[in-house]
Parts: sequence; C-alpha cells; structure tokens
Amino acid sequence: MAKDVKPTRKNLMAIEDRIDLSERGHDTLEQKRDGLIMEFMDILDQAQDVRSDMADDYERAQRTIDMARAMEGDVAVRGAAAALKEHPEITTQSKNIMGVVVPQIESSKVKKSLDERGYGLLGSSARIDEAADAYEELLETIILAAEVETAMKKMLTEIETTKRRVNALEFTLLPQLYENQEYIEQKLEEQEREEIFRLKKIKAKKEDEEAAEAAEAAEAAEAADAAETADA
Amino acid sequence: MSAVGSSNPEYVVARVRARRGSLYSDEEYRKLTRMSPSEIARFMEESTYEAEINALGSRHAGVDLIEYALNRNLAKQFEGILDWSEGGLYDLIARYLRKFDAWNVKTVIRGVYTGASQEEVEVDLIRAGEFDDRRIRRLLEADSIEAVVEVLEDTIYGAPLREAYAEYEETDVLVPLENAVDRVFYERLLGNLPGDEPTRQYEAFLKAEVDFRNADNALRLARSGAEIDPAEYFIEGGELFTRDTLARLARNLDELVEYIAESQYADELGPALRELEEADSLIAFEHATDAALLAYGDRLGTIHPVSVTPVISYILAKEREVENIRAIARGKEAGLPANEIEEELVIT
Repeated sequence: MAKDVKPTRKNLMAIEDRIDLSERGHDTLEQKRDGLIMEFMDILDQAQDVRSDMADDYERAQRTIDMARAMEGDVAVRGAAAALKEHPEITTQSKNIMGVVVPQIESSKVKKSLDERGYGLLGSSARIDEAADAYEELLETIILAAEVETAMKKMLTEIETTKRRVNALEFTLLPQLYENQEYIEQKLEEQEREEIFRLKKIKAKKEDEEAAEAAEAAEAAEAADAAETADA
Repeated sequence: MSAVGSSNPEYVVARVRARRGSLYSDEEYRKLTRMSPSEIARFMEESTYEAEINALGSRHAGVDLIEYALNRNLAKQFEGILDWSEGGLYDLIARYLRKFDAWNVKTVIRGVYTGASQEEVEVDLIRAGEFDDRRIRRLLEADSIEAVVEVLEDTIYGAPLREAYAEYEETDVLVPLENAVDRVFYERLLGNLPGDEPTRQYEAFLKAEVDFRNADNALRLARSGAEIDPAEYFIEGGELFTRDTLARLARNLDELVEYIAESQYADELGPALRELEEADSLIAFEHATDAALLAYGDRLGTIHPVSVTPVISYILAKEREVENIRAIARGKEAGLPANEIEEELVIT
C-alpha cells in the first residue's frame, strides 16, 4: 500500500496534515459516539417503560373489549364503534438529538368524553364506556411508543454509523497514514544517506584526481629538473 | 296478534310456561362454561336452537354463528308471543318488545352512517319487535338517514326522529337520533297503562327498570366528568329520580352513590355500590341492576300467574339466557377461565 505513495517531502507534509485532521476527527467522532450512547441509554429506559405500559394497556383493553363483546354482544360493540365521527389525528414534527433528527408525534382527539364518542348514552352500557376508555389509553401509549421507538432506532443507526467511522479511522485510515508517513520518512532518510554517500564518493574521487594531478605535476617537475641538470 | 279484542292471558301463559321449561338450567350453564365455542354450538344444536344453528351454519362459524343463532331464536320466540297475544295483553307485551324495534332502528341508522352493506346490517337485526318484514325491508333499503326517518314517519319514532334529524344535520353525530329512539321507547313503556292489579305490578317493574337505567346513566355521567347536561339523558316515569334531582346528583359521584344507597333499592344495589367505590368500575353495578330486575321479574310471575307478568318474566329470562350463552361463548373465545365467566353470568 505504502509503495503506491511517492516518497516526496511534499507528500509527507500532505500525509502529516491528513493524520492531524484524522486524529482530530477520530476524537470528535469518539465523543459523539459516547454522547449518542448515553442519550440512547436514556431513550432505551424510556422505551422499555413505554413497551411495558403498552403491553399492560393492550392486555387491559383486550380484556375490556372481550367482556363488552361477551356481555353486550359483538353487534352492540361494533355499532358503538361505528358511531364515532371524529377520528384521532396525528401530526409529526422533528427534533434534533446530537445531530440525529427524530420524530415528535403530537396526537389530538384520542381521549374523548362520553358525548364525543358518537353513541347514545341511553342505549349503551358502562362496559362499552370502559372498553372505549381502555382503547383510547392504549392508542395514546402506542403513539408515545412509536415516537420513542423510532427515536431509538434512529439513534441506534447513528451510533452504528459513528462507530464504523471511528473504527475506520482508528483501524484503517490512521494506521495506513502512519505507515505511509513512516515509509516516506524512511525513503527520504535513505535518499539523504545515499546523497551523502554520493557526495563523499565524488569528493574522494576529486581528491584522488587532484592527488594524481599533483603527483603527475610533481613527476613532470622532477623530470624537468633532471633534464635541466643533465643539460647543465 | 293485535291490540284489538279481549286479552287472552290463559292461552299465552300456558304456551309461555311450556317454553320456560326448555330454558337452560344452572347445571347446563356450568357445562357450557367448560366447552369450546364449537362444542357450545353443537350443544345448542341439540336443544331449542337447532333450527337456527342449522339455518345459519353454512354462512357463519364459531362464536358469530352462536350469537346470530341466539338473536334469531330470541326474535322467533318473542314474535311467537306477540302472534299469540290479543287485546290489552298484546299492547302490554308489545310496549316492552319495542326495545328491539329501537335496537333495529339504531342499527340501520349506524349502518347507513358508516356505509355498511345491506347484508352486514341485516345480520345484526333482531326481529323481535313490532315491525313487520315489509318495514324492516324498507329500512334496510334506505340509502340515507333521511330515508330511514321517512320510512318510520308513521310509527311512534316518526316525530321525535324528524326533530332529532335537524340536530343531526347540524352536528353530524348520531347521538341525537339514538337518544330520540331510546327516549320514545322508554316514554311509551309507561304511558297509558290500564289500572288492574297485575298491570300495576308490571308498571312497578317497568318503573324499576327506568330507575335502574337512570341510575346507570347518572353514574356513567358523574364518573366521566363529561360536559353533558344530565337532564338530557333523564328518562321520565321512574320513582327514584326527578329531572332536577338527577341533574344535581350527576355532577357529584359521592352524593349520587349515597342517594342510591339510601333509596328503596338499597338492599339490591348496596353491595354493588360499595364495589363501585372500591374498584371504580360501573360493571358490578350494572350487573347488580340486571340481577335485581331478573329477580323482580321472577317474583312477579308467581304473584299473578294468569296475567302479563309471567309473560314478562319469561321474556326477561329468555333474554338473560341469550346473554348468558353469548357471554360464555365470547368469554371462551377470548380465553377467559371458566370461573371468571361464571362470575359474569346472571342466574337466578
């Protein structure tokens, strides 16, 4: 991998910049991950409570409607349910938890008073009222559970993504950058050593040549002196 | 057969007695609570419900089959009683059985309101009242609530429904129409009763029913805290409340409970009122009023053996049988334990 990088000083500087940026990113993402996990744990507790409430409410609602169907008859219960005019409404907004956009569900017209349920009081019974009460409560809990559980799932996805990013930086990108940095540094050092060696070589060669030239010159001078002496 | 001519209580009471003998006993209820819905249907097939189970068996199954067979049998039995009755006796019985006409009117109105099909509405009807097949057919064919009101124009429901229709058009909720139908039924129940002793006993029973209905509704209103004028739901004719008393008491649950606990119904309803205070549930109270009415009906039947009272006593017992079998079947379907289902049954 590192062999693909040109061992130049410019690349080394660029890699050092990237290492710096990645380390800072890694620290920030780690903090974000820890923060998300803390928020998630809070939401998880809430979701567990809501889930348990929902199971209880469902059981109670199912029981009241079973009793209403048993004592009043299926026809009466269906008739009372059919009389409802104003159906519950749901509006969704969003809120931001550490950069994660989660839904905020607002409901209206879920809880109804006796006169808003549409069935006549004279021809119905308390069993139908209790079944309607129980289902209205269940619906409210379901809406809350939808909000909390969607937030929980979104947080979980975000934690996973952040964790993958932290791990990618920690175990892939940063080690690779360190390796490249080391490779370039080694290469540059090697090049430096080679350069010094080469310079030394040149210097030695130059000195040898100069010595040879000096010897030659000395020899020539000696020969000229000898000739002059012979002439004389 | 009709309100014209003299009464024939001897004949009707004799036939009703024979039918009373075929009502399910306590032992049979106990057996039923240990059966599955299909076993209950089979058990019914071997009793007075044979024709209904066989007729409906190809179209329905399970608890629906049981419920529809029960409703059809109830209708057949009560239609028979009206067919045998003549003169004043017919009028006395018909005024009580008109509650099924009221039920059918409300069912048709709800069906039209929700866009249910004619077949869906038809299976929910209980043809035990005064309406003949032709009128019921016309009601089923009505495609709007206005058309339903028109079909009922020449009945006791005509004028009140016409009046309530204007309010319905304004609010688009069924409450005024349903209340108008129920109110007519209760008003006609006690109006212009003849003055002989058995009829006075019958009147006392009807007044108790009206009192219990008013008490149930007042307690429901007081508990719900809804912004409704309690006087709107007051039914005339009872002895326990006046319109003003009910309007005052329905705003305070404690005062209302105390008032009922100190009334002539203290013995019958006292334990249920204590349970209401403890458990905050009206079901035990409604249970107690049902049981008190049934016991009252049984007592009436023995005081004047050749009068309308044994017939009314049978009608109540038959209704209770239908409600008990339905409760057992629906309870079994929902997986309720046998002892819990037995607690819900009203047996005297």
